[in-house]
Amino acid sequence: MALILMLLVPGAVGLWLVTGGRGLDAHTARVVALVAATVGGLAAVVAAAMRPVVDRAWIPDLGVRWHFAIDGISAPLVVLTAVIGVLVVAHAWVEQPWTDTHLGLPRGSAATYLGALLLVETGALAAFAARDAVLFFIAFEVVLVPMWVLISRYGDPKSAAARADASARFILYTAVGSTLMLVGILLLVGQAGTADLDALPAAAGALGQGPQTLIAVLLTLGLAVKVPVFPLHTWLPAAHTTAPTAGSVLLAAVLLKLGTYGLVRLPLANVPDGFARIAPGLAIAGVVGILWGGLICLVERDLKRLIAFSSVAHMGFVVLGLASGSATGLQAALIGNIAHGVISALLFVIVGGLKHRWGSVDLAVVRPALREVSPRLGFALILGLAAGLGLPGLAGFWGEFLALVAAWEPAHHEGVLRTCAVIAAVGAALAAAYALRVARIVWVGDAVPDAATDDPVAGALDRIDTRTPDTRGVELAVLAVLVAAVVTIGVVPHTVLSVTAAAAEALVGGGR
Amino acid sequence: MSALQVSYLLVLVPALAAVATLALRRWQGPATLVSVGAALVSLLLAVVGLVVAPVRGTDLVPLRGSYAVGGLDLPLQLGAGPATAAVAAVVALVAAAVLVFTRWYLAADDRLAVFAATVSLFTAAMMLVVHSRDLVLTVVGWEVMGWCSYLLIGHWSRKESARRAALKAFLVTRVADIGFVLGVVGLCAGAGSTGLDTVVAAWTSDEAPGSPALRSTLLVLVVIGVLGKSAQFPFQDWLPDAMEGPTPASALIHAATMVAAGTVVLAQLFEVLVLADGARWVLGLATAVTMVGAAVLALGQSDLKRLLAWSTVSQVAIMLSALATTTRDVGPDPALFHLWSHAIFKSLLFLTIGWLSVIAGSTLASALRGAGHGHPLARVAWLFGLLALAGAPFVVGGLSKEHVVVTAYEGAASAGGPGVVVLAALLVTVVLTAAYAVRAHLVVSAPVPNSPIPPLGPDTPGPNGGIGEKSTGHAGMPSAPVLASLAVLTVLTVVGGLVLLTGLFDVHGASVWWMVLTTLLIVIGGGLAWLARGSGDPRDQFVRTPRHRALADSGFGADTAYRALVARPVLGLARVVAFLDREVVDGYVRGAAASAGVAGWLAERGHRRESPSAGLGLLALGLLVAAGTAVLTWR
Repeated sequence: MALILMLLVPGAVGLWLVTGGRGLDAHTARVVALVAATVGGLAAVVAAAMRPVVDRAWIPDLGVRWHFAIDGISAPLVVLTAVIGVLVVAHAWVEQPWTDTHLGLPRGSAATYLGALLLVETGALAAFAARDAVLFFIAFEVVLVPMWVLISRYGDPKSAAARADASARFILYTAVGSTLMLVGILLLVGQAGTADLDALPAAAGALGQGPQTLIAVLLTLGLAVKVPVFPLHTWLPAAHTTAPTAGSVLLAAVLLKLGTYGLVRLPLANVPDGFARIAPGLAIAGVVGILWGGLICLVERDLKRLIAFSSVAHMGFVVLGLASGSATGLQAALIGNIAHGVISALLFVIVGGLKHRWGSVDLAVVRPALREVSPRLGFALILGLAAGLGLPGLAGFWGEFLALVAAWEPAHHEGVLRTCAVIAAVGAALAAAYALRVARIVWVGDAVPDAATDDPVAGALDRIDTRTPDTRGVELAVLAVLVAAVVTIGVVPHTVLSVTAAAAEALVGGGR
Repeated sequence: MSALQVSYLLVLVPALAAVATLALRRWQGPATLVSVGAALVSLLLAVVGLVVAPVRGTDLVPLRGSYAVGGLDLPLQLGAGPATAAVAAVVALVAAAVLVFTRWYLAADDRLAVFAATVSLFTAAMMLVVHSRDLVLTVVGWEVMGWCSYLLIGHWSRKESARRAALKAFLVTRVADIGFVLGVVGLCAGAGSTGLDTVVAAWTSDEAPGSPALRSTLLVLVVIGVLGKSAQFPFQDWLPDAMEGPTPASALIHAATMVAAGTVVLAQLFEVLVLADGARWVLGLATAVTMVGAAVLALGQSDLKRLLAWSTVSQVAIMLSALATTTRDVGPDPALFHLWSHAIFKSLLFLTIGWLSVIAGSTLASALRGAGHGHPLARVAWLFGLLALAGAPFVVGGLSKEHVVVTAYEGAASAGGPGVVVLAALLVTVVLTAAYAVRAHLVVSAPVPNSPIPPLGPDTPGPNGGIGEKSTGHAGMPSAPVLASLAVLTVLTVVGGLVLLTGLFDVHGASVWWMVLTTLLIVIGGGLAWLARGSGDPRDQFVRTPRHRALADSGFGADTAYRALVARPVLGLARVVAFLDREVVDGYVRGAAASAGVAGWLAERGHRRESPSAGLGLLALGLLVAAGTAVLTWR
């Protein structure tokens, strides 16, 4: 019941909003969407706690079933998606992309925007709950279209060309990845004779080394686009920079998680031997991504792109944990996944808010320091940056530390993975460097830019107050929820680790 | 109340105080009262902890089920031991004194409450490191301390020099922490647990999880992290710059937390450290170089606060050198005892110079000349603090330094390890320390009261133009609680060595002969500085040319070296990577898009002509693709 509600309510309301309800005025649409997201979210939380199962025949000829269930691996992700889903809809009270009429270009209606948000949430929830490989793929694909709408129609109002480029890049890149994944899934299902994810590991275990490796390569390549793993990441900065704030948040906190979740669910669970064979390559790609993203963040000028590149670096740690092949590594990847979802959501809400206030987030422009003019927003930013650099006591630390431990004592390929652990530790220092670079430019400094000090003090302060108003109302509430989540996961990591423990042990056979 | 409960409370109380203070930050007065109150409660708890401390050799560790993450056990436990209780007491004492002093010193600051909250969090993190019986908790406290130091040093964030100093402090220590984290990761992964006792047992047993070479490498990595946090060569240069922070922050960082944490961690890992000769050599050589170099630099500083900073670097090197040379029989307690005494006299010195700088308006030696006049308590406090720093016999610093010297001698005598090098460096340092302590005393007690506006010679300002202390907007007389805490610290500086009678520190008796010898060296060093005092700044006798002054004030140009050797190459690499990302990695994507466009154009043309040959060609291509797929998937 909870499962059906969780999928049906946001799904149906979202569909209605993008079709029949398009003409709805913004206020009604927001309330409707918020109610739908909240009901769906509550149902998802209940489902994550109760773990019900839905299992119906769907396409009997192919053996594809309408099979949803939630286990320890998907439960934290379902809860994350549910919370983020409510937050992004609530954020529509703060930022209203449908009202931006820059250059007089036609924009979509509020209802379409909110419907697209709900559909992304539905698709992601369905993908996390799917217990059938083909169903997973379909849910995975459902997410793409509304996301494309969000980027191409509600993205950065400044440049239509940038929106077209970013959205086309996003859709083509991920479509290519999906095609590879589809071939992998079909091959797997065809060879194993079942699409049921519960039965697949046993059935696929009988496959020889060759097919296992081929399937693992196809699935991993396809999903690596979504994660994204270096060098398949170039769609991400463009998409993040262009997408509206809510879109960026969904992209970072939900869509990227589909990629890592898929890696756990498909290649790691079903063709473990094949996955182990390609694990060193994956680990190397992961740590190159850590360094690559970290280095670019040291010189990147656009703050939104910078956060996007830092995502590449953080997902590198998740991939490293997965590649280690041990239960510790899997646990590290799962908590790292959740932590990155919360932290990047926090940072994107802040940076999106800044872009909204300032018009751009070019770091080369001297602006009043957040610590001076809007302390609450500044506090959230510095907390997010601290979490991003892996400060213990905040969410990011556990995933990174455990990934290093796992890579130091991996299940296979000890030499390669130990080297990767060393490089990843260097990448953690880079994370500190770029986080503090941002803090030094945006957070601390003078209340007024040097150029403006000639103005009379009172006049200058007035002007600045209108330029960088501190966060309040809904935005403050959204930030507060995310800050609370970052601190909670950091201080009590067992909230996540204990949920995933049993499933992770089962998945990698209990041993290290 | 058991010692164990005390240790949990000592971590929790300051942590909760930090949260409460931050929540109340709008009301500065009550907020700081909360943190001061919590610090006093902590102090009381720590005193209780001293009373109920377990007897030597019987460390208390709770028996409790541990969490497991995959194959890794995470016990996440705290423990208590005799030396732990003593160190915790001194940390609580310094934190309380610093918070009391802050209330007076930063009374006019608009972010006083945030500062107090950070100090509380810093204390909690240090308490966590001190009581930790789990390496993950140690890392947690370690990194949180680094973050708090960033916030405290950069407290006056409207000042560019403070922002830069904060960034530098965090980045330098974080780079060293690459080693620390990797070392801890390796030790924990090998033992399959993060529990300190399990790790130590695993790596000291005959069936260690790795070869002795691996063990030594991991310990070297940990030592590198310690060198960074403790500002030892080659990471030393962040600490003098950290003087940009408010003086109470310096007192906290230098006396009882941050720089001292490395000593605590290595003492916890002592059983493994004594087996790792490589790590002991690295530690011994680095500390030997640091203690002498920092003492030389202290002698040449134009800013007394920076002089104290370099003296900290030198003194922490002395602490750590005890760990590098000590034998298994002697144990780590001489180092911890020096930590204890250094915490007392260094916090006294910093708080006193904070007071003096309010009187003089600056911490430059030229401004502070004669600042002690009319403030006898400040002069007495400064004198006793410097006596302890110089290591005069029987005051707390002298006693602990004697133990370090004897430890180094025993280490050198029983061969193995860097004992001889360290002992030689120690003796040189004793002379230099006495000299710069005398110099610091002569400046403050000089008979000429300084003019209200300190005359700045053309060559006097340091690299940052001197450390301008914020005007606190009140006359130079601190409040009664501040005077009381200074008095307590002064008394403890004199009689603090009595802690040895309690048996909390397991140290062997000092040798009379060594005491006579070091006293002689102190007299020589102090006498030289006295004779050299002349009429002006005694420094003039040692550092004569402006070039030498610039060299001393810039710490032998370490900052330039950091930039040239690390910062610039990394930024250059970053630009290359950004270029590659834009032009190469993204290039093939754009290339694919372009080739798809070309293919589309060709296909369109082909269709328009509707020539049968083109259709045939496409069909053949399709067949080829199908055949290829079939071959590839044929199993």
